[in-house]
Amino acid sequence: MNPLLPFLMAGDPSLEALPGLLADAKALGLEAVELGLPHSDPIADGPVLQAAAHRAIQRGATPLRVLQSLAGLTDSPDVVLFTYLNPLLQLGVAELKRLLAPTPVRALLVVDLPFGEEAAFEADLRAAGYPMVPLLAPTTTLSRARQILMERPDPGEGTPFAQRFAYVVARLGVTGTGQGLDLQPVSERVTDLLPLTSRPLAVGFGLSNPRSLTAIRRLGATPVIGSALVQELAEGSGLRAALSPRLVDDL
Amino acid sequence: MTLGFTLPDRFGSQALGGCYAPETLLQPLLDLEAAFRSALDDPAYVAELKSELRHFVGRPTPLTPAPRLAAQLGLKALFLKREDLTHTGAHKINNALAQALLAKRMGKHEIIAETGAGQHGVATAAACARLGLSCTVYMGVTDMARQAPNVARMRLFGAKVEPVEAGQGTLKEAVNEALRAWAARCDRAHYILGSALGPHPFPTLVRTFQTVIGEEARAQILEQAGTLPEVVIACAGGGSNGLGLLVPFLGDSLRRVAVEAGGHGPELGEHAARLDGGRLGVLHGCKTLLLQDDHGHTAETASISAGLDYPALGPELAALILDGQVEVRRASDEEALTGARLLCEAEGILPALESSHALALLPSLAAEGAATVLLGLSGRGDKDLSTYQSRSGL
Repeated sequence: MNPLLPFLMAGDPSLEALPGLLADAKALGLEAVELGLPHSDPIADGPVLQAAAHRAIQRGATPLRVLQSLAGLTDSPDVVLFTYLNPLLQLGVAELKRLLAPTPVRALLVVDLPFGEEAAFEADLRAAGYPMVPLLAPTTTLSRARQILMERPDPGEGTPFAQRFAYVVARLGVTGTGQGLDLQPVSERVTDLLPLTSRPLAVGFGLSNPRSLTAIRRLGATPVIGSALVQELAEGSGLRAALSPRLVDDL
Repeated sequence: MTLGFTLPDRFGSQALGGCYAPETLLQPLLDLEAAFRSALDDPAYVAELKSELRHFVGRPTPLTPAPRLAAQLGLKALFLKREDLTHTGAHKINNALAQALLAKRMGKHEIIAETGAGQHGVATAAACARLGLSCTVYMGVTDMARQAPNVARMRLFGAKVEPVEAGQGTLKEAVNEALRAWAARCDRAHYILGSALGPHPFPTLVRTFQTVIGEEARAQILEQAGTLPEVVIACAGGGSNGLGLLVPFLGDSLRRVAVEAGGHGPELGEHAARLDGGRLGVLHGCKTLLLQDDHGHTAETASISAGLDYPALGPELAALILDGQVEVRRASDEEALTGARLLCEAEGILPALESSHALALLPSLAAEGAATVLLGLSGRGDKDLSTYQSRSGL
């Protein structure tokens, strides 16, 4: 099981630092990282990722430059591109596929794209090897979860984690550590969702301390660490120093 | 394959609109559509709304002939649909009240709203006070400064006004923050979106609650003038006022005109005219005409009028424009100020800066040969007094 799915904001602390961060993540043995494409209107993000996206845009981390900076990188885990829809629509599917081809991007997590809203766009990208990660929120009823998991089917064992996992949103609201996370509801949620799918589950929103990460792993899911990591990297921590203690179970 | 909505969620030949919302909000949006449909079918809800619109809002609003201004401009007749005379002073109350009643019906006693000029915020705060609901309004800090009287009004009605510091501190950032707040509290809160934008079903909901403007106006002008006008004109920010007035005239053979904010220049960032330089894109949950840069990031906008200072046009109005049903024009900041002065001096009515953009087009309509015009006076200008004072040297 993949022990951790870290989230990085492309362009923060800098685009130049990105290859080194990805190499460090690979050296830690991680199978995949989520990489945020900075957007002007990140409606699903809390203050930390909003600020990181803003800094990255100020430094010129446009979608084009982010994807160009990933081209040719091989010393990297699989990358899940975490993004809002509009920048992708403006690139257009042909240009997007051309830009993605030489990168380690293996899947897309498009926060504001429910299945079916851009059916042709999504099908074209899936056929080219870039499936969309299904999202399951606390408000997603189990019958809707079944529908989502059927509409975006598991590509099956043998395909990498980045292309298989479903993302379980641990609590209502936006990304960020906030007041921390009450683990009881999310534990029940994961227990309810696991039998619905053969996909591995990743759980994110509100996780940061080793105890909460361990709790998610013990449910059989992969914890996502985002805002806390982005904040530590922005303050000058190295990726290894930030993640090493979080890869060890806190018992 | 589908999200499970019942009502049409796309508009026009380019299928604008849709529901581009984060998964957390999908079930709340599905629930909202179901509640909206059931409310419209419930005679008790319809009767309560009608009664509140009459006794609390003051509907029907008058259709006022403006003969002195008409003569001055060379028009044969000019009629003003007086949304400025509603309780709280703008058309926004029609939708805010209807959605507040809907929220109560859904058992949601917490209300979230965004506001630009503050008119939607004031209307929502008033409706919440009337119905005993708690109310939090998100407002950009730039707008809080330029529409200070409305901030005070909201607070008097017991609403909490949350300042939004991000970006330009205007309506776009306020909507971002309201959507985030709703995602955090959607289990107990209803989001009263103020314009005909956002993810389905909001554009349809807001348009449905605002077409009372045009329905009344159409009947009133037939009664007063015995005939329909040649032109119906309204300003358009997100599009709730534009759609509210223009949609009931869609079947008629006349010119329907929406006026966008021309700001202080033609370059991106100097205006909020989505038909000039806007491209199809997705913002705040819908696909529509959007002012954006080459990277798909939302562009900055500028307008003297906070209510028109928004980078996207509501999807249904954008579709009507792209499909040739509605004409679109622009008026600059200066032209809007001139339009306001014209109405003040000729008719003794102080219009909101938003409505003044429609007034600014009247000389052009007269020059184009229009004889009879019906204009949507969306709001009153008390909130804009400080801008009128500083810009007109009063």
